[in-house]
Amino acid sequence: MERRELIQWLVATAGLQSLNALDPADLLALGRDVHRGAPVRRTLSAVDVAAERILPGAAAANVGAFIEKMLTDWHTPEERERFLAGLKELDARGNFVDRNEADQLALLNALDNAAFAAGTNDHWFARLKYLTVYGYCTSEVGMRALKLYPLPWRYDGCAPV
Amino acid sequence: MTDFDAIVVGSGMTGGWAAKELTELGLRTLVLEAGRPIVPEQDYTEHKPPWEVPFRGLGDRRTVAARQPTQSHSASFDELSHVFWTDDVDNPYSTPADRPFYWFRARQVGGKSIIWGRQVYRWSDLDFEANVRDGIAVDWPIRYADIAPWYDRVERFIGVSGQAEGLAQLPDGQFLPPMALNCVEQHVRQRIAATFGRARVLTIGRVANLTAALNGRAPCHYCGPCHRGCITRSYFSSVNATLPAAQATGRLTLRPFSIVHRLLARDSRVTGVQVIDAKTKMERVYTARVIFLCASALESARILLNSGIGNSSGQVGRNIMDHIKWGGASGVFDGWTDRRTIGERPNGIYVPRFRNVTSPPRHPDFIRGYGFQGGAGRTGWHAALHAPGIGLALKARLTDLGPWSMSFDGFGEMLPREENRATLHPTLVDAWGIPSLHIECRWSDNELAIHRDMNVTAAELLEAAGAKDIEPSTSGPSTPGGTNHEMGTARMGRDPKTSVLNGWNQSWDVPNVFVTDGAAMTSSSCQNPSLTYMALTARACHYAVEQLKRREL
Repeated sequence: MERRELIQWLVATAGLQSLNALDPADLLALGRDVHRGAPVRRTLSAVDVAAERILPGAAAANVGAFIEKMLTDWHTPEERERFLAGLKELDARGNFVDRNEADQLALLNALDNAAFAAGTNDHWFARLKYLTVYGYCTSEVGMRALKLYPLPWRYDGCAPV
Repeated sequence: MTDFDAIVVGSGMTGGWAAKELTELGLRTLVLEAGRPIVPEQDYTEHKPPWEVPFRGLGDRRTVAARQPTQSHSASFDELSHVFWTDDVDNPYSTPADRPFYWFRARQVGGKSIIWGRQVYRWSDLDFEANVRDGIAVDWPIRYADIAPWYDRVERFIGVSGQAEGLAQLPDGQFLPPMALNCVEQHVRQRIAATFGRARVLTIGRVANLTAALNGRAPCHYCGPCHRGCITRSYFSSVNATLPAAQATGRLTLRPFSIVHRLLARDSRVTGVQVIDAKTKMERVYTARVIFLCASALESARILLNSGIGNSSGQVGRNIMDHIKWGGASGVFDGWTDRRTIGERPNGIYVPRFRNVTSPPRHPDFIRGYGFQGGAGRTGWHAALHAPGIGLALKARLTDLGPWSMSFDGFGEMLPREENRATLHPTLVDAWGIPSLHIECRWSDNELAIHRDMNVTAAELLEAAGAKDIEPSTSGPSTPGGTNHEMGTARMGRDPKTSVLNGWNQSWDVPNVFVTDGAAMTSSSCQNPSLTYMALTARACHYAVEQLKRREL
């Protein structure tokens, strides 16, 4: 089984319950390796779908791979576990990936409200959103769309918008 | 017969200048650099787009925590520029547990001139007369007239863009065309002038980035991250300008991976420089008629202390100064919503010192003063990182430029105090077995009063400019050393009993040793110091060569 598919399978099935039992570092290292292979069949995970719903265009910008990289190699084990535990909320009313777009948006909006009500950027959903926005705005797709790339090679301190 | 005529320890801001001046004056010069060579085409990364960087600029957090926990506090440390800072594990130092001091260090050809902030301001007699006027520490042995021609010489070579303002406390220099203030900064400049007249002035920063071609270096193209290098050589660094000039004479020998352990002296004369090869750890000695220490303020002091020379005054390592930061304010401006900035200007605004500039009246709480750097801009997509909402609403926020806001960030003068001191650590050594420093440094009441006043006057400036939502800084003072303007550890003076160097940056005790980096400073001004280091270096080189010619060295 492809490592990425393993994650997908775990998230999408009762295997979810065993996420905590697995070493998150190992699990996520699996995902990272997938991106190194050349023609890898990419199965959308809950993170990928959620990122695209949070910020349309995120999928085209390959934001999911950036989020995995951050979870695997940047976040502390504690932060990672909190994030992975939070991800389970996506599947609270059934497999998130399989639900229709309206349902997905409703759930994500509820999570967004909850994160803001919590008033902390430590909330796992605030983290997902931060990584999604940051990943998009620093991707080639995103920077071109936002006209941040290529560079203007000049300075104008009072240009028309 | 010596191996070389001159040895320069360090290849950064001042080492590069010593190399250029000494070789151009005919001396066969060896430059010893502790770190690796730099090849701009390979080592500069300013144009690498974020998506080609593993963590997109957020940094390799785990490696940084393990190897560069101190260096990472520097303002110009990032995921790409981190290679230009030292490894904290290999280069340890200690402080008292309750008195942190940030010692930011760079070991490679070019030193910190690759990663500096490039702000260059002439000091004036307000600074050079400060100690004698206030009756503290010792008097500078020089005045503005002594250094002014050397400021001219340095500015013409490095290229400084700036606006002449005719202020006594901030002498004008040899300027390339100034960079532009943006719309809001222009407005604030006018409003400040209308409110304060000439008492408070906002000008564009004076910066060592070219706005016109100079000596084969191209003008700035406004890409942004200067601290990662500059392939067009548009900002000044020793790699970009002074070292190539020295190389062109045919009299430069540059030896990277050469860590100076100590100077060897006999009969009030340094006879050799003992070097440890950074890679092989083999030791060897180089000899020369004259030695220039340009290793950075604390490193040069460390070399003197490890050599056991030049310290009959007991002042080596003492009088550490930095600039106190993190006071100021920010505010928001209505209007100009149809305007934006294009390109990354590597420069901001400057408000020259206005406290205690004329006497009387003096400020009741402190002597000396501070200047403001800062600037105005619009937030852009970063505001969306923590914004509410998802989906198309969130996407729309990415292109919402947000309101204009402006900040003023103070840089305050620090007084020289003997108890702010670096000493050799009794047991701690670096990866090459060389004794490390123990650094004790803290702000005095004078600096803390300056820090408090920054919040007050920055808010006044914003109010005068019509800003709303004015927020004074809520930060406490910066950590000493954190501005990376450390200086004073081998001060110049008029008396060998109370100073380390004479008015030519020359050691009183060992006259063929010159120290021309920040160690030589007798007071700290509130203005960025590198220009003064460079001018003093050029001046000392010409003096040393004259002395050599007269066989007085």
